[in-house]
Amino acid sequence: MMDDGTTPSAEHEKPNFVQRHRIGFLVAAAVVISLISVTVSLAIYNLSGSAQLDLSRPGFQAVSDQVARTNTIDEYSGSGNVTLETIDEFLKLYDEQAAKAKAVDAFNGDPLNPEVLEFSTVASQ
Amino acid sequence: MKYRLFVVGLILAVGSAMAFLGIRGVSAQTTLTDQQRDLIRANCITIKNTLNQLNASDALLRVNRGQVYESMGSKLMDRFNSRLDGRNLDSRGVVSVTGSYRSSLQDFRANYITYERQLTATLRIDCTTDPDSFHASLLSAREKRALVHEDVNRLHQFIDDYRNAAADFRLNFERVSGENNR
Repeated sequence: MMDDGTTPSAEHEKPNFVQRHRIGFLVAAAVVISLISVTVSLAIYNLSGSAQLDLSRPGFQAVSDQVARTNTIDEYSGSGNVTLETIDEFLKLYDEQAAKAKAVDAFNGDPLNPEVLEFSTVASQ
Repeated sequence: MKYRLFVVGLILAVGSAMAFLGIRGVSAQTTLTDQQRDLIRANCITIKNTLNQLNASDALLRVNRGQVYESMGSKLMDRFNSRLDGRNLDSRGVVSVTGSYRSSLQDFRANYITYERQLTATLRIDCTTDPDSFHASLLSAREKRALVHEDVNRLHQFIDDYRNAAADFRLNFERVSGENNR
């Protein structure tokens, strides 16, 4: 019975494997948590569609300086009176901005046509 | 009873024939001749350079046009709708078009993402070793790009529709305010 009191204190003095390598475990845990965070962030980046809008990606730097920094569409006030004059004012502004929005027929043409891209004489040169 | 069975049988037969012809149509589209395979292999680097340039220019187009289309909704349509709503005026016409416009804008965003992913996947295929997969992937990207263009056309149509709805509102407003002033 006397030994029962001495054995645990002897074990307490001798640290186990985890206690002896706790700094190493701490570093490993930090690395694992970082890896998980990076993986989740990259997954969100890719799945949300942000990747497709990111012009800082390799291969897109050539066009990144051509992004319109200022918004070309003028704003209409959401508050105020509604009179024939204010409606006409809106229609005039809208016509101007709509012309800007429709000025470019984006994604027109057929640049991925295999006849042009793969099998044309230009490509074969 | 016999008549019903005959109709069901006929539908199944026509459906099967259409499916068969459809599959044949797709496979015929993606089947390459040896000469075409050789052309793809020989032009692989040139084709990929062109695709890389297209990928970059389309990304720029998406960013710039997306900004303009977003602003049309938030800076003009929403503002005008909000002003009418604030005065308890009947804005159902313009609000309805705005909803359709927003929905098309969503489609534009989603379809562009699908197209960009397909084009990126195409660029990852080695066209010197696997010209068939490359060609099939390119055709798929082409179809997806055409969808993005359809979305752009639809957005332009809704921009016009909103203008018409706002003009209709103006006419109605003029009529009602004229009646009230009498």
